[in-house]
Amino acid sequence: MKEVLEGSHAVSQAVRLAKVQVMSAYPITPQTHIVEALSEYCADGTMDARFICVESEHSAMAAVIGASSAGIRTFTATSSQGLALMHELLHWASAGRLPIVMAEVNRALAPGWNIWMDQTDSLAQRDTGWIQLYCEDGQEVLDTVLQAYRLAETVNLPVMVVLDAFFLSHTFEPVDIPGQDLVDRFLPPFSPKIALDTSDPFAIGQMAPPNVYMEMRRDVQKAMEQVLDIFSGVEQEFLNIFGRTYGPVERFYCDDARIIMVVTGTAAGTCRQVISDLRSKGEKVGMLKLKMFRPFPVNLIREDLGRVQKIAVVDRNFSFGASGIFAQEIRAALCNHPGHPPVFGYIAGLGGRDVTVDTLSEIYWKTKESDAPEDESVWVGLVNC
Amino acid sequence: MAQEPENGKKIPLFISRSHILTDVNKTGSWRFVRPIYREKTAPCSTACPAGQDIPRIEMFFNQNQFEDALNTILFENPFPSVCGRVCFHPCERVCNRAGLDEPVAVHDLERFIGDAAARGELKPGLKKLPAKGKTVCIIGAGPAGMAAGYFLSRMGYSCDIYEARSEPGGILRWGIPRYRLPETVLTFEIDRIKQYGLKISCNTPVTHDFVEDAKNRYQAVFIACGHGRSLKMNIPGEHMADDGLDYLNRLRKGDTAPSTTTAAVIGGGNTAIDVARSLVRQGTKTTLIYRRQKQDMPAFKEEVEMAVEEGVTIMELFSPVKIEKHDEEFVISLQKMKTAGMETDRGRSRVIPDGGPGHQFRTLKIFTAIGAEPADPWLSPLQKTDATLDLSHCTLADSDPPLLYGGDLTNAIQSVPDAVASGKQAAMAIDIFFKQGRHAITDRLNSCRVGNGPALSMARYMGEKQRNRHEDVVSFEHINLDYFPRESRAETKTLSLDDRVRSFDEIKTTLTIDRALKESRRCFNCGICNACDNCRIFCPEIAVTLHAGERQIDLDYCKGCGICVVECPRSAMELQEEG
Repeated sequence: MKEVLEGSHAVSQAVRLAKVQVMSAYPITPQTHIVEALSEYCADGTMDARFICVESEHSAMAAVIGASSAGIRTFTATSSQGLALMHELLHWASAGRLPIVMAEVNRALAPGWNIWMDQTDSLAQRDTGWIQLYCEDGQEVLDTVLQAYRLAETVNLPVMVVLDAFFLSHTFEPVDIPGQDLVDRFLPPFSPKIALDTSDPFAIGQMAPPNVYMEMRRDVQKAMEQVLDIFSGVEQEFLNIFGRTYGPVERFYCDDARIIMVVTGTAAGTCRQVISDLRSKGEKVGMLKLKMFRPFPVNLIREDLGRVQKIAVVDRNFSFGASGIFAQEIRAALCNHPGHPPVFGYIAGLGGRDVTVDTLSEIYWKTKESDAPEDESVWVGLVNC
Repeated sequence: MAQEPENGKKIPLFISRSHILTDVNKTGSWRFVRPIYREKTAPCSTACPAGQDIPRIEMFFNQNQFEDALNTILFENPFPSVCGRVCFHPCERVCNRAGLDEPVAVHDLERFIGDAAARGELKPGLKKLPAKGKTVCIIGAGPAGMAAGYFLSRMGYSCDIYEARSEPGGILRWGIPRYRLPETVLTFEIDRIKQYGLKISCNTPVTHDFVEDAKNRYQAVFIACGHGRSLKMNIPGEHMADDGLDYLNRLRKGDTAPSTTTAAVIGGGNTAIDVARSLVRQGTKTTLIYRRQKQDMPAFKEEVEMAVEEGVTIMELFSPVKIEKHDEEFVISLQKMKTAGMETDRGRSRVIPDGGPGHQFRTLKIFTAIGAEPADPWLSPLQKTDATLDLSHCTLADSDPPLLYGGDLTNAIQSVPDAVASGKQAAMAIDIFFKQGRHAITDRLNSCRVGNGPALSMARYMGEKQRNRHEDVVSFEHINLDYFPRESRAETKTLSLDDRVRSFDEIKTTLTIDRALKESRRCFNCGICNACDNCRIFCPEIAVTLHAGERQIDLDYCKGCGICVVECPRSAMELQEEG
């Protein structure tokens, strides 16, 4: 049934449908609406779940790690500073191989205080061993949360479902909320591979000396390496039941494109318009929407971008002393690919600044008109230079 | 299951996991201090002359165990409804809660419990020990005599009480006005004491010969007949003044003699205030004359304040020197006094004549209430010897069978709870005398003291479990305030000032159950375990175990971190260095 929902509540609805048993979160704008609705579901009996109130995001992650270790389906959500505070425990969740799902609302980090859209918070956690999936709209975020549980519980790795602050979290759109019976068909009850059991006690997470640590880390990577395949399977089943699919990357007018723009999140929606406009003027341009960032779909990137003339990457994030993070990753993916095209890196829309049709058109034309990138990163839309 | 990898490959899942149980790691070996459960004494209990276990009473109260609360009171004091009204509640003056917001309204809660019992909603459940075959003679059925009879009866002694007046109750019946203590309240609590089987002979004044004879007929005698004779001012014209206590007696008997339009009351004690406030209720413009400063009046401060509210004028630092009658009017000659340093022993200002000219005060009626003394010299030991025992609330004469004096005859503070304390001390002393002899009395009584104060615990004397009241008194610093948000103290409803000065109706009401429960939850329950379970919940080693309601510390695993002690909100635990 379709309802007009804000992105945050699309997440809440998905968590309800996933029959999560334990949630813990600490409120932070722009994540608050997600957990507000969930705490109401717990209070009014809509969900048969426990909402653990905590004094910080660090404790929220600790609480869901505890619950997940006991073989319970868990959820948390955060944003920005909250995610930064969780950092230490993000490692515990992934190397502990716990299938926790977290909604992470992309928000800028302080100082200056800024509650608006920026990807640096989630991308700064790229090495923590979490799967990261970036969403474009309310429907995608609802669907991705459901898929995330299937994925996480299959590979025993935690999943971060990432959505843009306000542009997605607070925007109302028609969203199809699937019936519980369909969701139950897609997502059966959690059957944990690791579950603490008081009748057969064992300890987890204790000392791992040099003779075993490396193997544990290799196993995390081995699991990561299977994510892409497994995600395809999950998406296929999702398609069969719900009739929708997204893919780890989405190609838009890529087949004959000479220039491909790489975008993520809600900017992909804007970019579709730009591409259509440019196509109607005869420009050979396409868009690659990157949904899966971890594991990074290297082969897909090589396949889709390896043969075009130029690549323009739009980064709503920045790694100081280097460049935009998506551009970095794409360069790294292509560097061992013979004859790969130049990668033009653009920094736009930090701290909630709009990425408009004009911004993206400017990026296209700059790319088309330059033979080679003028710099590793070109900052677009600056007001005071 | 759907969780199997869709691509058919096995997902490697190598994590650190151990089946060696953590109980091999006996963290108890790290310990150099150990937590122990050690209940302590609340300051309110030590301040209560009757030694009531107030934190436990409030604990039962807030757990809805009202009958347990009643019995905990009755173990130490047979008069909850009376004391809830007339006690000057020294407990509240030392209440640790005052450090956070305001003291707990202990007296209101005591009154609530007492009144619920009076309505028949709670049944007392204190047992009487088997009969001991000994009978004690008690002279005076005031609060001290009735308390002694109550405690002795519970211990299994027969008691014969001799009372000069027509009904038992003493000062409670004849000296305290109805607006402070309605008669039905008193009668109910006296009847409850009577149910223990003591025999009260009213209209039986007692002489010295009677006492000498009683020593032959009884196995012990307790004299607690109060002060029968008013003190004299020794000034000319004194005989023209009325006795204040007589006036209160007459009122209690229903004698509402036509009052006068103006009156003077001389004195500064509770009787003087009661007389003045009763006169106001009869429509009399009343002036109270006191030779010292108002702040040094022995009357309870709250009573003095209410007297002033009700329209009593207080003339402080005026000493009467002569009373004369001019036509229908009395003229009191007054000497103005001034303060001159402090009295060394009583904490009040010394006063001397200020040397100025005399004053005159005209009034239609004069009442004196400057105190009282024993009516006869035989009401204290005629001969003191080395064997005479001066205890805090009674005196044991050098005689066999034991002869004890108590109540107002011996008490430094003449209050109802002190009278109860006297009756209790006498009962214990008599019991010890019979069981162990005179020499054992002092030590045995000391072993029953509540905290570091003089009050005695009957529960401890009778060996009640879990009532071992420690000499350490809990101070405000020992309370973990994280568990106690600020909350305002219960205010009882009082009659409006207009209604107060027109009738003898009781001024204050009993709290409603909701408000009383809320008030009981304000109590910190200082020093006692109320089974909050924080120690068990917070223990990081799960070393606090609970078996059949008893919490124990598993010393194999307790590493002595002290978290349980810190998280105990009420100081019922402490850390002890390992020996």
